[in-house]
Amino acid sequence: MTYQDTHAAGRRTGHPAPYGGRPAASVPPGRPRRGPGGRRALTALFWLGLAAAVLPWWLDTPAGSLTDTADLLTAGGRITGLIAGYLLLVQVLAMSRLGVLERSLGGERISRLHRDVGATLLVAVLTHLALLVVGYARQERNSVFGEVGALLSDYEDMVSAFAAAGVLVVVGFTAVRGIRRRLPYELWYALHLTSYLTLLLGYAHQFSNGAQLHEPGPARIGWIAAYLLVVAALLWGRVIAPLVFNLRHRLRVADVVAESPDTISIYLTGHRLNQIDMLGGQYFRWRFLNPGCWWESHPFSVSAAANGRWLRLTVKVVGKHTAELRDLTPGTRVWAEGPFGTFTAAHRTRERALLIAGGSGIAPLRAMLEELPPGAALIYRARQPADVLLHRELDWLAQARQTSVWYVIGRRDDPGPRQVMNPEGLRRLVPDLTRRDVYLCGPGGLVDESVKVLRAAGVPRRQIHLTAFEL
Amino acid sequence: MRRALLAITGLAAGTTALVVLKGGPGAGQATAQDLPAAQAPVAPGGSPTPGGVTPSAAAPSVSATPGASAKPSAKPSPDRRPASRGSTRTGTTPAAPKTTTKAPKPTTRTVTGSSVSYKYGSLQVRITLSGTRIVDATATGMPLGGQSGQRSDDVQARYSGSSGEVVAKQSADLSTVSGATYTSTAYQRSLQAAIDKA
Repeated sequence: MTYQDTHAAGRRTGHPAPYGGRPAASVPPGRPRRGPGGRRALTALFWLGLAAAVLPWWLDTPAGSLTDTADLLTAGGRITGLIAGYLLLVQVLAMSRLGVLERSLGGERISRLHRDVGATLLVAVLTHLALLVVGYARQERNSVFGEVGALLSDYEDMVSAFAAAGVLVVVGFTAVRGIRRRLPYELWYALHLTSYLTLLLGYAHQFSNGAQLHEPGPARIGWIAAYLLVVAALLWGRVIAPLVFNLRHRLRVADVVAESPDTISIYLTGHRLNQIDMLGGQYFRWRFLNPGCWWESHPFSVSAAANGRWLRLTVKVVGKHTAELRDLTPGTRVWAEGPFGTFTAAHRTRERALLIAGGSGIAPLRAMLEELPPGAALIYRARQPADVLLHRELDWLAQARQTSVWYVIGRRDDPGPRQVMNPEGLRRLVPDLTRRDVYLCGPGGLVDESVKVLRAAGVPRRQIHLTAFEL
Repeated sequence: MRRALLAITGLAAGTTALVVLKGGPGAGQATAQDLPAAQAPVAPGGSPTPGGVTPSAAAPSVSATPGASAKPSAKPSPDRRPASRGSTRTGTTPAAPKTTTKAPKPTTRTVTGSSVSYKYGSLQVRITLSGTRIVDATATGMPLGGQSGQRSDDVQARYSGSSGEVVAKQSADLSTVSGATYTSTAYQRSLQAAIDKA
């Protein structure tokens, strides 16, 4: 690890091309906007898929054929079963790291979707199980427990289906925030990985016992096709695409530089970096291939726009993993997956932007600043002056790109931050606030508070872009 | 988390709505509308159908257009009717539509056997007679899905239909379908009841 001894050391950007090559402050190339079109298409696709999943039941069930309670329960069980099967596929697809999804929805939205769909999936599976057991029990005049026994012994593939439900329950409950925090991350991760098992264990019973999928026909073919597609997406997003990317670019650590006592920048080099289609504000999932870190992969934003020569990530040392990153030696191979995320200048809806950063949340915003048109504004919240990162670069960008930069230093209750972080304060700094896109990155508390203030100041929801450190 | 709760509520509401739309607790109404149309050709002098169909409803709906149900209280059913017609459970049950088209013939009538419970559920056999000859048969109410559904389908395929064993033998003395003994026996018992009644 090298410490900067002079003010210029370790600052490889911000100078008008001291090493030759393109100066970082050149007018950004006209990046095409990436609007919400992809997101809307995916939303429509989701609902269409849901309708298609339940459609076989709707067509198979003659109207008025549900006469007694057992029929009603069984019908409910079938519907929730079809929905659960579909949601399971959506869950796996959401986690497939498919480039299309990551770049049109963004990691933040995907993990929220994963959480919400996950909770719904768990409820759907348990409802499916309960309704069918009770429904069948009534139909066959059996006790509930007797029926469970009958299902397990007389029906094909039901043992594995019950096992799948069990796995899902364990995964679901350990994902509850309160419980997850008490578990060691590694254990939680291993448990969460077993959820792939449900895909395998739950597969067979849908076809051997599913009323709608048992018969050969379009429903069965479609269902199998959906499974194949999801597995293909998983293979592509998790294995093939990263393999191609890393064989192509062969990233290595070039240098580790201290930005502040508890923040480091890692510079990476590699092959054909000018061919990475990366936007400022996007992130990669990084895996540093040294003995201590290789099995952990973490998302970090790139803290400088693409320049074709190096990549940089700026990381605050908060945990064991980030502490180990301080000791990376130059030359260490890096496995990266990305670039991902919709937190970019190309996703804005208005011409101008206001960026609000908190602490090390400056990293993606710093990269984005290079790609925003002149006239952007940056509000940088930090607890104390020493927490302000990359400030020379920011000052320089402010000058070169006519960006207004305000450093708002202090605790939340100090007079400075209190004056700024309210609707009037923001309007004083940025009078055309409501006609700008606002990008927020920082600790959850700051992001939540800022969203409230911005909404109170009249900024439309679709103009607010977030990226939080954690859920 | 709020969205997850919303999604779960939506799941519950959606499932309930689907079930209700297909004949939930208001199923009494739905069946009353649908069954008379299918069983319209029950002869005026025919024995009262023990299938739970209200005999009073059968009379007015003999009219050739099943859509013009005589019940003013009927919910807008046009969208429901095609679904029920188009999705008769297996291909072997063209019985229901066929009988409606034969409605003018006074000699054709439908008789429903008693409901018989067996290991996997319950069923009810409905036969169509032309004079004294059985021309068609079908079973209703059998379990649809899974292995018991498979048995239902086997039995249905062997016995029912205008070319099935019932029509061929003209009696309830049928050969048992292997692997579906319970279902076969129940079918034969309900069929016997229907024949006795006819």
